[in-house]
Amino acid sequence: MEAFNWGLIAPILVIQGILIIVAMIDLIRTDYTNGPKWLWVLIIIFVSTLGPILYFVLGRRQR
Amino acid sequence: MTLFKKELLENWRNKKWIWVPLVIILLSIMDPITSYYLPQIIDSVGGLPEGSTLEMPEFAPPEVIMMSLSQLSSLGVLVLVLMSMGTIAGERKSGVTELILVKPVAYRNYITAKWVSLLMLVWISLFLGLLTSWYYINLLFGDLSFVELLQITFFYGLWLTLVVSLSIFYNALIKTPGLVAFLTILTIMVMSLINQVFNHVLEWFPNNLSSYILDMLMTDQLSTDLIATACVTMILSIALVVASIYTFRVKD
Repeated sequence: MEAFNWGLIAPILVIQGILIIVAMIDLIRTDYTNGPKWLWVLIIIFVSTLGPILYFVLGRRQR
Repeated sequence: MTLFKKELLENWRNKKWIWVPLVIILLSIMDPITSYYLPQIIDSVGGLPEGSTLEMPEFAPPEVIMMSLSQLSSLGVLVLVLMSMGTIAGERKSGVTELILVKPVAYRNYITAKWVSLLMLVWISLFLGLLTSWYYINLLFGDLSFVELLQITFFYGLWLTLVVSLSIFYNALIKTPGLVAFLTILTIMVMSLINQVFNHVLEWFPNNLSSYILDMLMTDQLSTDLIATACVTMILSIALVVASIYTFRVKD
């Protein structure tokens, strides 16, 4: 089996990282979310990929 | 024009310009990479039983990009629908719409500003997603020309345009964002059902776009079917927007 090429996987990890960071920054800066803030922190960090998306779709309150 | 700028700013503020492209990129590169690493993945989860041999299919580049497209057709469409469900419905609920429409703003401009700004977001995301997918395909599987990439983006973008128009239409009709998303997805599912049942009659149904795209990649030429389907899709999208302007005017 050939060596696993991390260079190919890296972009995926980077994108996931950016999503998490952006979601976290947004979460810190907003005052209100749907549901408790600490819950969103857990979801964003621990539910990989889907967590930040869920936050953007459901967690942000429409102003 | 000011409304359009306001929309762009708003989409930037609620980070749509960041996360939608990223998610689309993620969705479109997931499949090429996993299918490339399929043998290793099978190995790492325990491998095949002794003695059994599984011929790994060799994927041709067009097949791989079709995988990306099918990924976008399911999860991508879901994300787009969820992303756009609140554009008008949410604003109406919170009263922003009244604030805007108090000023001398035509309903037509309000709706089209929403529509165009969403479409810009969708098309740019789609292009970025398919561009990365194309990069990976050229790296891992084989050649796919850039012109083909542009053609795929264009024709597939029309399908997503229809999805966005559908979502805008329901947005103008209904005030609850969740219901908008539900109805949009329901409509898309019903459309694909209709397409399966009446496939022999409705040759130019929008749902056939992807299969015609595959044909185009395989045979290397633009079929009249593809162009006709593209036209039908465009006309449907525009009709939906016109209809939503009309219903919006009646409802408000």
